Amino acid sequence: MGILAASGSFTRYAVVGDMTGQIASEIPERLAKYSFRDIDNTADERSFGWVCLEDWLDSFWHAAPPEKAHYVAFSLRLDTRRVPPAVFKKHFLLAVKAEKEAMKETGKSFITKDRKSEIKDQVMLKLRTRFLPIPAVFDAVWNLRSNMVLLATTNSKVRALFEDHFNMSFGLSLEPLTPYFLARRMTDESRHALLDDLEPSPFAAP
Amino acid sequence: MDLIKAAIQDGVLGQDFLTWLWFRSEKNGWLFRSSDGREFNVYLEQRLSVRGGSGDNVEKAVVTGPHAEFTEAKLGLRNGKLVDKALLRLERDGATWTVLLGSDDFSLSGLKTPKIETRLEEGDDPDAPFLEKMMLLDQCLEFVDDLYRQFLEIRLSTGWNDELRTFREWLSEQ
Repeated sequence: MGILAASGSFTRYAVVGDMTGQIASEIPERLAKYSFRDIDNTADERSFGWVCLEDWLDSFWHAAPPEKAHYVAFSLRLDTRRVPPAVFKKHFLLAVKAEKEAMKETGKSFITKDRKSEIKDQVMLKLRTRFLPIPAVFDAVWNLRSNMVLLATTNSKVRALFEDHFNMSFGLSLEPLTPYFLARRMTDESRHALLDDLEPSPFAAP
Repeated sequence: MDLIKAAIQDGVLGQDFLTWLWFRSEKNGWLFRSSDGREFNVYLEQRLSVRGGSGDNVEKAVVTGPHAEFTEAKLGLRNGKLVDKALLRLERDGATWTVLLGSDDFSLSGLKTPKIETRLEEGDDPDAPFLEKMMLLDQCLEFVDDLYRQFLEIRLSTGWNDELRTFREWLSEQ
């Protein structure tokens, strides 16, 4: 989902660790190193990595640089190949049938568990080459002044992927700004023990 | 990062906050002061959900409507439920933001900022629409942070019991 869209869903993070000038200057290089690689012509199930915010087909930032004032803006592209279960089932049954036919000549009729699983893998691999991966793009903006990151999704699977890939790319971890973590950042250390032990308030009755 | 502690306390803090915000916004005449001393309006409207119980016994009521009075949601509050998700409308100087805020993780869904001009004229900075949008998004986050900071100040003070008493008066008036 695009940052520039009229409406969007977002998750907020604080980057844990000090933002040094060296890390900031290395960001474009690291984005390129961990950028998206196309899998259209492979049988890979999934591929993900950073792309240019302005053009998600651009893994080389030819369209625009990621630096914009005190922000670094980029997108996470995730391509996934999905073979519909019914299609897989049909081709698996066809392959088992063919295997049984072939076995007739040798006089056997039983397919072992191991062989079945081998057939499954082969069918899946063959089918994957025939399905194009489905692309999805999620914008992210890193505010270098506040050292916060805004990710344009609330999907938990994408969030986990983003957190891992961010950590892998920059060697920095992300703290989700959920009520607890945000409260710890907003309050004095002397109140942190209080935050840890809060019980739900009896709003309706004492 | 203590994720287990966070998972427990996120729900407590988030629900307490949104429940307080509903009452406080009505009580304040929908007026709050931000950290820079300027006033802004906060309305909870159109969509609100309340949740009670835990584990397998969670009960939820989602109330929607263009000018909802949230009677059902208030009934939920009287039965011990707390606000779980709320659509906030934030206004300052004629500009409007709306966002559906989730209590458990502070997820920001369907966040709408005031409209920006995305068409560029010759000589314009190509990053201008992006920077304008970021300024508006940051402004919305500041509003939310200001509200949360005000909540935490009272929630972690000895004044919280008085605040809860005022809350109960407000609830019984409805």
